[in-house]
Amino acid sequence: MGFTGRAALLAAIGSLPVGLLEPGWTGVLAVNGTLAAACACDFALAAPVRRLRLSRSGDTSVRLGDTAEVTLTVTNATRRPLRGLLRDAWAPSSWPAGTEADASRHVLEVPAGERRRVTTRLRPTRRGDRTPDRVTIRSYGPLGLWTRQGSHHVPWGVRVLPPFHSRKHLPSKLARLRELDGRTSLLTRGEGTEFDSLREYVPGDDTRSIDWRATARQQTVAVRTWRPERDRHVHLVLDTGRTSAGRVGDAPRLDSSMDAALLLAALASKAGDRVGFLAYDRRVRARVQGHTADDLLASLVAVMANLEPELVETDARSLATAALAAAPRRALIVLLTALDRAAVEQGLLPVLGRLTQQHTLLVASVADPHVAEMAKGRGTPEAVYDAASAAQAQQERHHVAEQLRRHGVTVVDATPDDLAPALADAYLALKAAGRL
Amino acid sequence: MTTTASTSTSPTARHLWIRSRGVLLGVVALVVAGIALAATRANDHGPLDPRSPGPNGARAVAEILRGRGVETRVVTTLAEAALAAGPDTTLVVTVPDLLTETQTTALRAATTGTGGRLVLIAPDVSTPALAPGVSADPTPAFAETAGPSCALPAAERAGSAETTGIRYRVASDDADSCYPDEGLPTLVRVPTETPGNPGGDTVVVGAPTFLVNDRLDEHGNASLALNLLGSRPELVWYIPTLADASATTGDEQQGLFDLMPSGWLWAALQLFLAAAVAALWRGRRFGPLVAERLPVVVRASETTEGRARLYHAAKARDRAAEALRTATRLRLAPLTGVPAARAHSPEALLPAVAAHIGDPAQAAGLQELLFGPPPGDDAALVSLADRLDALEREVSRP
Repeated sequence: MGFTGRAALLAAIGSLPVGLLEPGWTGVLAVNGTLAAACACDFALAAPVRRLRLSRSGDTSVRLGDTAEVTLTVTNATRRPLRGLLRDAWAPSSWPAGTEADASRHVLEVPAGERRRVTTRLRPTRRGDRTPDRVTIRSYGPLGLWTRQGSHHVPWGVRVLPPFHSRKHLPSKLARLRELDGRTSLLTRGEGTEFDSLREYVPGDDTRSIDWRATARQQTVAVRTWRPERDRHVHLVLDTGRTSAGRVGDAPRLDSSMDAALLLAALASKAGDRVGFLAYDRRVRARVQGHTADDLLASLVAVMANLEPELVETDARSLATAALAAAPRRALIVLLTALDRAAVEQGLLPVLGRLTQQHTLLVASVADPHVAEMAKGRGTPEAVYDAASAAQAQQERHHVAEQLRRHGVTVVDATPDDLAPALADAYLALKAAGRL
Repeated sequence: MTTTASTSTSPTARHLWIRSRGVLLGVVALVVAGIALAATRANDHGPLDPRSPGPNGARAVAEILRGRGVETRVVTTLAEAALAAGPDTTLVVTVPDLLTETQTTALRAATTGTGGRLVLIAPDVSTPALAPGVSADPTPAFAETAGPSCALPAAERAGSAETTGIRYRVASDDADSCYPDEGLPTLVRVPTETPGNPGGDTVVVGAPTFLVNDRLDEHGNASLALNLLGSRPELVWYIPTLADASATTGDEQQGLFDLMPSGWLWAALQLFLAAAVAALWRGRRFGPLVAERLPVVVRASETTEGRARLYHAAKARDRAAEALRTATRLRLAPLTGVPAARAHSPEALLPAVAAHIGDPAQAAGLQELLFGPPPGDDAALVSLADRLDALEREVSRP
């Protein structure tokens, strides 16, 4: 219920007849009485909001950065035409800042007994599930003096999936994988490689791989080709503790780690390995296991959509236990965490032995390009102190990485943009070396 | 897709009634209680009012006087008071100080020479205007009661009474000065006889205590009150109020609004209503705000920056220089073929680095540059950083 700007304007114009023609209570009553009567008329003729029927349809998931369309169907079952405004309210992060007012409001005209659709376009700015708040409709009377307003709760849900920016690296990494895959003989033989087939020798092949017995049977020199082992287990363990909350560039460490994990999962499933996923801080936040290569990525992004950094210290001991429970057989465990000195020395190092005893461990961490930038600061005392502090931080990080390497752990430490390809390369290198 | 159940969140009339009936009940109870209270307190007037039965009222004295044939009337405006003045009338002014200058002059003119009595209860600044020859002393009396010590029959009959409040200085000779407190009287009777109308007088009393219901039966209060107020058959009780129109008179009191044409005023009223409508229009919210849990925003480099500020604030040049030198040594070691483990021993690193730079003079300063003492001031620290950079460039040059 409420006045419109037109009613206020008419009331203001009404001061002219009151002032010039009939100063006194009579004039005031005449002007405002007329206005009130017109408003009452408008109220009676405006379509009632309560008796409208609303329903939704449209997208239920969207990649971060893309646009989702959610359609509202407004059915006017009353005998009065509906003229008005509709606001489809969603959480503020459903739109880029400043565009919410345009994106959520629609002009609505629904003749009596008909239905109309309005489409709200969401462009979420963060991962996670978005649910609509409520639909508010302001219904104008034919004179435009009075409005009826009411809200409806029309449930829906749009899951905003991680963007997977690093999928642009996938083709080149897959090409590299095919190179390993026995179709070229450049592969060096490792302990984990499997015999694939025999083919003709070409100059450049490793002479150690010539199969003399086959050569004797044939007229040409035959070499054995090897292909990397298949059906290995890769377990991605994502640390969602407090160190994953730190922002590097625009996004928290967690998002960069997810991106890298998605690329590795895509690559590993193409390479014929079995991929499992575990998000952990003090308890299991998400888990994906036993999925086939086809629906792996879909289930990964679905569970990643709602992962948020938790402001708790990761319990490394129980994390190791959970990871070991998830990987009963020999596997490559990829731990996406931060190379934070205190966290690693007090948390990870004591449990490292249990993990590396049976499995191959790869630790991937997001480095902060801002620290590298600070380390280059020169010229003013402030900049030099910054540089000294940054150098100190880098040395600590370096030291931590060295400690891990000494335990036989592969360490990947890269800036957010480089982490995904670097992790994929580390995986391919391990695969080529047959260390899975 | 059409749903049959209503999705509306607006409350129905029934919900509104259920939700608001408690509040409504409370409001009704409050209104009823207010009306009941007002009804029981209806005859509770202000202090010194002859209709008021409270401790500070004066109903007791009025009732006793009525029993003796003296009629009491209450007036609140100067016009009524002036009209009532006459030879058969006692006019009591309860708060003379509330009267404006114009009013005191008018009251004085109306009562002088009528042959009636004017009783002023505790006047202070208005004393000289209402009772000529009498003025209030700035220091009040301390004693609660005083003896009459004068020839006024009413006072003599009453004996001691609670009149002590304001003390007066009397200039005229024919005035009766009674109930003195430390030399100055607290009750003064000034005759206002004129040749045509004998018997008129003005009585100034320093305190209202002797009149009020609560104190009437103490000392000689009752006797004094009855004698002072009961000398004429009619008693007019004048309670001055600020709402009296005679308090504000004269052209200079006319406001801005009186000078404006009435059309402007009514148009302004209408505009005010329009502004109220506009406020309601703009104030109407198009649905509530939507709340959302926000993610944590902590830059990962914040601890590093914090440590830099701490270094700076503490002037920790030794630690800063050591960090920079260590970083350079670690970068130089692989360039010069020294194992990383031995990068921090001068014996291993210095000869290897010196071999990479041609200039012997620069090579001599290597010990100080890479392993020297901490710089003495910030400028030295800045230059140390630059020299370390230069050394690294020199060594890494092919």
